[in-house]
Amino acid sequence: MSENILFISESSEEAASGSQLTLGLDDLILTKGMATSAGSKMLAGFKSLFDARVYERLHEAGCAVAGKVNIGEFGIDLLGETSHFGPVLTAEGQLTTAASQLLANGSVDAVVGLDVNGAQARAAALAGQVYLKPTYGCVSRFGTVAVACSGETVDVSACSTEVVQQVLDTLAGHDDADGTSLPESECARLKSANSEAAPITQVKVARGLLATADEATQQLIEAAIATLEAEGIAVSDTAPETDKLLSVANLAWNILMCAELCNNVNRFEGMKYGYHAEKCQSIDELYTKSRTEAFGSLLKTAILYGSEVLATNNYDRCYDKALRIRRLVLEALTEECAGGTALLLPACAKRAYSLAEVEANPNLAFEENRFTAPAAITGLPALVAGGVQLLGNAFSETALLRLGAVLSSANLAGKEA
Amino acid sequence: MDRETLVKLEQLNQLSLTSQEQDEVLAFFAAREADWEALAAIDTENIERMVHVRPMTNVLREDVASQPFDREDLLVQAPESMDGYWQVPQVL
Repeated sequence: MSENILFISESSEEAASGSQLTLGLDDLILTKGMATSAGSKMLAGFKSLFDARVYERLHEAGCAVAGKVNIGEFGIDLLGETSHFGPVLTAEGQLTTAASQLLANGSVDAVVGLDVNGAQARAAALAGQVYLKPTYGCVSRFGTVAVACSGETVDVSACSTEVVQQVLDTLAGHDDADGTSLPESECARLKSANSEAAPITQVKVARGLLATADEATQQLIEAAIATLEAEGIAVSDTAPETDKLLSVANLAWNILMCAELCNNVNRFEGMKYGYHAEKCQSIDELYTKSRTEAFGSLLKTAILYGSEVLATNNYDRCYDKALRIRRLVLEALTEECAGGTALLLPACAKRAYSLAEVEANPNLAFEENRFTAPAAITGLPALVAGGVQLLGNAFSETALLRLGAVLSSANLAGKEA
Repeated sequence: MDRETLVKLEQLNQLSLTSQEQDEVLAFFAAREADWEALAAIDTENIERMVHVRPMTNVLREDVASQPFDREDLLVQAPESMDGYWQVPQVL
């Protein structure tokens, strides 16, 4: 087995004494002092001219950043397996992410990343860690590598809900430099000081999606239900019409994600920065050879799919359709989550994934993201704790984290049988 | 999607796939037909497109020229540069 590469570059700065927390930043977050590669050969060794806003805020808050964390190429894969620096495996030989390994071995207190297609949510679920994808627009994306801008958000992983909330308190806030940043009054609703957040008193199980998960995952959800009921939480099921929309949310998200990715990675052509193919006779050859040699297979597939769904003959039935379905999904989930309700669903279909099965089906991420796409396509917050996922209405983070603490401490994996 | 159309799509995106990669992408595209049928089965009549998930207005700045980065700094990352410019293969 090759050695796991967890950091692709490490900070040369000494952590200040009394640092609040030690964090890792994933490889989609730009930093001046450390290389940012987006997990791609195209950007291997690239050094930004400026820092991402989240890095500045962590730095100002006295947090130490240990280094840049290995991720899959542009964050679109299953569990980081497409990284130019290699996949990361657990001691048992199962796929995981570098962020989850760093948390598991105690190297960092938390990892701040950019969620594009759910890789870290899946890894946190598999490792029993805590993961939060906050409400879209509440944490600045200024200085993150743009991939699928309409759904991607800065995310936080840690071993406890308390640490996630602590990091969120530092990161949440309006930023003039991010055109999608919400007003400060709305961003502040994510912070622990927000005592007005209504508690979650009811959970609805997304039965349609749950039925597509394996037996062990279904048992994990049943253990979560039992734990929640013991806490006095009312548990019911989502409406059939919601289940129907949830079943196509990832199909629509795949279209939007690939369309946006296709446009965003057009900037990488091997001339101004990044990988540069040798011995090219023309500028077209330079562009094509650089992109062909530097991009991995999954990324090429996503670029071509994105281009195809935007083509004139497909635009209405694909891209335009996906935008309309996004509205339907958001309306349905907002209604389901009204009045202090959260949705309960898995974050992934299985309890472990091997490298061999991903190699046999390299596009697995576009199927397994059926559990994470509902949050991505709607911008609603999603929390992973105890191996299961809770999805709530916008700005319900503090309430989700309180419920997540219950699930984290319940040892659901030990109760699933 | 046939191979000829895929080659045009590759050219449009400045990519050049091997025939094995083309086979894989063609299989991926074929599987997406079922996705599009599933989406078509959802009634979106009179449903407006949603580009932004939260209400947002475009942010504009004053139209004032500025130079946020030094030319030399921008060229540090260039694989090839000469006399303060990016160097590329001969165009004409």
